[in-house]
Amino acid sequence: MSAPAVSIKGRAFGDHLLLALVILLSIVMIAPVLWVIGLSLKDNAELMADPNSVFHAPYTLKNYINTLGTSSVFIWVRNSIIVAGGLTLGTLILSSLAGYGFARLNFPGRNILFIIVLFGLAVPEQAVLVARHQIFSVLKFHNTHHGLILPGLSASFGVFLMTQYFKAIPKELDEAAMLDNAGRFRIFWKVLLPLTLPAQATLGIFTFLGAWNDYFWPLISATKKDMFTLTVGMASTQTNFAQSEGIGFLMAQAVFAGAPILIVYLFFQKYIVTAVSGAAVR
Amino acid sequence: MTADIEIRNVNKHFGAMAVLEDLSLSIKAREFIVFLGPSGCGKSTLLRMIAGLETVDSGEIAINNERIDHLPPGKRGIAMVFQSYALYPHMTVRDNMAFGLENIGMSREVIDARINEAARILEMPHLLERKPGQLSGGQRQRVAIGRAIVKEPKAFLFDEPLSNLDAALRTRTRLELAQLHQRLHSTMIFVTHDQVEAMTLADRIVVMNNRKIEQIGTPMEIYERPATKFVAGFVGAPAMNFVEATLDRSAENAAARFADGTSVQTEIVSNQLSDGKHTFGIRSEDVPIVAAGQGNADGVVEVLERLGERTLVYARLGDGQQIVGSDAGNSRVAVGHKVGLAFDGQKSHLFDETGRAWHAREA
Repeated sequence: MSAPAVSIKGRAFGDHLLLALVILLSIVMIAPVLWVIGLSLKDNAELMADPNSVFHAPYTLKNYINTLGTSSVFIWVRNSIIVAGGLTLGTLILSSLAGYGFARLNFPGRNILFIIVLFGLAVPEQAVLVARHQIFSVLKFHNTHHGLILPGLSASFGVFLMTQYFKAIPKELDEAAMLDNAGRFRIFWKVLLPLTLPAQATLGIFTFLGAWNDYFWPLISATKKDMFTLTVGMASTQTNFAQSEGIGFLMAQAVFAGAPILIVYLFFQKYIVTAVSGAAVR
Repeated sequence: MTADIEIRNVNKHFGAMAVLEDLSLSIKAREFIVFLGPSGCGKSTLLRMIAGLETVDSGEIAINNERIDHLPPGKRGIAMVFQSYALYPHMTVRDNMAFGLENIGMSREVIDARINEAARILEMPHLLERKPGQLSGGQRQRVAIGRAIVKEPKAFLFDEPLSNLDAALRTRTRLELAQLHQRLHSTMIFVTHDQVEAMTLADRIVVMNNRKIEQIGTPMEIYERPATKFVAGFVGAPAMNFVEATLDRSAENAAARFADGTSVQTEIVSNQLSDGKHTFGIRSEDVPIVAAGQGNADGVVEVLERLGERTLVYARLGDGQQIVGSDAGNSRVAVGHKVGLAFDGQKSHLFDETGRAWHAREA
């Protein structure tokens, strides 16, 4: 009887060790966030005099009032919402349709086309940047919302993910729906698409987060201040924060920029955990 | 609604591989037909061709004398129950059943009436608002049948619908299906590789093997007068005893002689039989166990299978041939005993080299 007791004891120790590790990692993850929030609540002059003043009162909302009242941050947030939202919506629509096509339709060149899509995963953005810049210049797409959205719509990963997901759905469902007198689009829309919701959520979250945090393409395409996305706008203020706006103000902007992501996370927490754990395939 | 189904000279290939060859079959209205055969014999493909889920390479399929092989599945007026049930997981039972009716623009009142009637027949009104994931295997099966019933189809197609159920539920569902057929009076086609399902459900069984139909007949015709050696061996448990034999055709009825000298006088007319080697066949229940020296042959008991109402006795003949005989449920025979095997000539069968069967004259 002693062996199971040892085993249970050993397991309890392992659980405690794991818990301690999780707490430690949580502290490591959350400390910078609390640090940023603390800095955002301090007066700039006080922080310049003593960076450690973050640990004691007085705290102030002045930086947030300045952020909301004086800078372009609302415009940048709006731009980021339009770009990230548009890109997410577009990616979900196109990836779902393409994924369905690759998974369910027989057409000449399907396999070759799918391989070409997969090649897209291997091509770095930098490799096509000059050509894309040239094309967008000619089409006068720079400094427009669609100019910021369009490049992200060619989402190889999204097509690949949705293709695999559609393939995993039993074909009997299509066949049952065919016997139920449903046309191809109705089968896609009413039967299959709802079943891909977990994959849609995963893809949507990653696309939204990626677009929200994207810095590279908006830096090139959006050169006018009122077309900056939040990342580019934030970076533009960093060049002179020490002289004029101050670190507290910058941190208030950072909190402001991070809030939508936090909201997205709170709403889609379950799907993000699923996506990160790689369990997207049901 | 019910329908005659006519299949004429149908062929089907997957790539270079032939799946069905020149197959013809007539199914009468209200008939319960079972396609029985081993895996890969083409029975499911034939069912899917009737459903419209597989194309027909050549030949015709007609329902009530109207060709349907060019119509899409939804326009053929048939319903199918899949092996996996294929219920829409994100829809409630009610929505699953309504989906097909909504697609043809049926009014909500009629849809609700049909769903309620089907739910009543299948005793599942309490399941209507649940989703498939909240149902047991048996309940899902009911829903799949309900989804077929509400369409009031000309014919029901079942593709091995009982194979995902446990043994007890399978037996119960089999009975319910038989009752459903009596109640709906619809044409039903049922695919299975389980001979018990075929024997218990079918008005007629279509035994298929190797891309072709081996025999079409009632369960008892198939069992008692199998058309080929394949049918004789495939239908029945335990399988029919087969022994290589030479024939003595000097008398009106042929006698079969085994390698060990055992002779069985059959009641199969001699002059219809050809020269050449034959296989003698007989079912275990037609080989009663008797005292050693009292039967056609003696054998040593190797295995006993006690089934309750009878005991199967596996005995080895002198030449090494194993024969399964039958004794009473409370048989006193034990392993190692020498017993006599009494072959019933009236129930004996002979199979020629092509596999064709010959039987005793019908009484």
